[in-house]
Amino acid sequence: METSREDVGIAIRSALLRRGTQQRFSLFVLILISILFLFAETIETKPLNHIRSIVKDTIYRGSLIISSPAKGVNLIFNFTKEHFNLYDSYNQLRKENEKLKNKITQSDFLELENNQLRKLIDEQVNSTGNLVSSRVMLDKQSPYLNSFVLNSGSNKEIKNGMAVLDGKNFIGRIVDVNFFSSRVLLVSDLNSKIPVVIEPSGHQAILSGRGNNTPSLEYLPENHNIQDGNKIYTSGKEGIFSPGIPIGIAEANGNKINVSLFSDLNQIIFVNIKLGGLSENK
Amino acid sequence: MALLFKQIKFKFFELIPLLLLFFISLNGNSVIDLNFFSINVHYILIYYWVLRLPQALGYGFIFLSGIITDVVFGLPIGASALSLLVVAGVATYVRVVTVRISLLTDWISFIPALLVANLIYFLTLYFSDYSIDYLYLFKNSISTFIFYPLLWSIFSILLNLMKQ
Repeated sequence: METSREDVGIAIRSALLRRGTQQRFSLFVLILISILFLFAETIETKPLNHIRSIVKDTIYRGSLIISSPAKGVNLIFNFTKEHFNLYDSYNQLRKENEKLKNKITQSDFLELENNQLRKLIDEQVNSTGNLVSSRVMLDKQSPYLNSFVLNSGSNKEIKNGMAVLDGKNFIGRIVDVNFFSSRVLLVSDLNSKIPVVIEPSGHQAILSGRGNNTPSLEYLPENHNIQDGNKIYTSGKEGIFSPGIPIGIAEANGNKINVSLFSDLNQIIFVNIKLGGLSENK
Repeated sequence: MALLFKQIKFKFFELIPLLLLFFISLNGNSVIDLNFFSINVHYILIYYWVLRLPQALGYGFIFLSGIITDVVFGLPIGASALSLLVVAGVATYVRVVTVRISLLTDWISFIPALLVANLIYFLTLYFSDYSIDYLYLFKNSISTFIFYPLLWSIFSILLNLMKQ
């Protein structure tokens, strides 16, 4: 029995500590370095942040180059698919166009009224001046983290916590800024919690990501009367984002209220980052 | 001349696991996510090659590949590196204690590697305040285990080509 135990001990020591066949590092040392790296992640100092930024920027560029052939194939596939769906989408667009023409007069009036009301309550009216456009550099959807990498960073005055928009729709917030790149945590991610307001009821809630494209509303009042089609906007309650940025439409699913996003997160190429949101609110 | 050609061919084939390791890290394909299941190719690749031909995948490269995966996926730096090194550690241990290698022994010994690596992965993300889908992680472990023989066969063909 003792011999057997000794054998196991020798085998473990051999596996972990010896460098083995043509190995330059021992496993044990590398495991220790990994643990040190994990601890270093919690330390926020300027030199460490600079090193992290350089490393991340370099890896993002490398990843961009490596994934370009796959992107090319994907583009060709999508192009062919769209080509085959041309007739259907033409018919659909024609119908939508007719509907929109009918609504356009009503929408102009509502926009005017909305602007007047916003001015009246001294809210910030969205202007294109405080937006920075950026291209999605990498959209590697990890099964554990729904995020993507943008090709602008602190060089364009982007900061952590800023709201990221697809057109005028809210899609996420900045969680990691490097010199020439930054990471967006999408609203669909499990770690994403956004304070929102539901119109027309005016209920406040937290939009919580579920790992798929339909985040859900949490912390709703017990007797809420939210119905399918109610619109969800950022509430701006925690002072992080500007209020009134559209997010999606409510979809009742039993007791749960899910949100169908206005933007298709899989089809985003360019985004707008709202620079003013943080500093103005602070 | 023929010998030189053979040596170059061998060197090229020997580099394939390493190139594959860095390709899947940089391209973000370490977990192939299909509709009904997802497979962690990274684990299988490292487990197989560390077990069969350790000189093809150095521990340093495995560590580097884990760091790249963490950066590409936006996870805390060191989380994937740690779990990949654990897989390599179990594979090395199995190599030390095993005399006769077959698909069945490889497959069975892959279970503790998978369990320990995913446990460490889960713990690191948990302590770093990252919410993850536990059910997904469980399903991923199961399908990675189920699909091991398929990738084992592909890698064995490559290994035979290298030996020839």
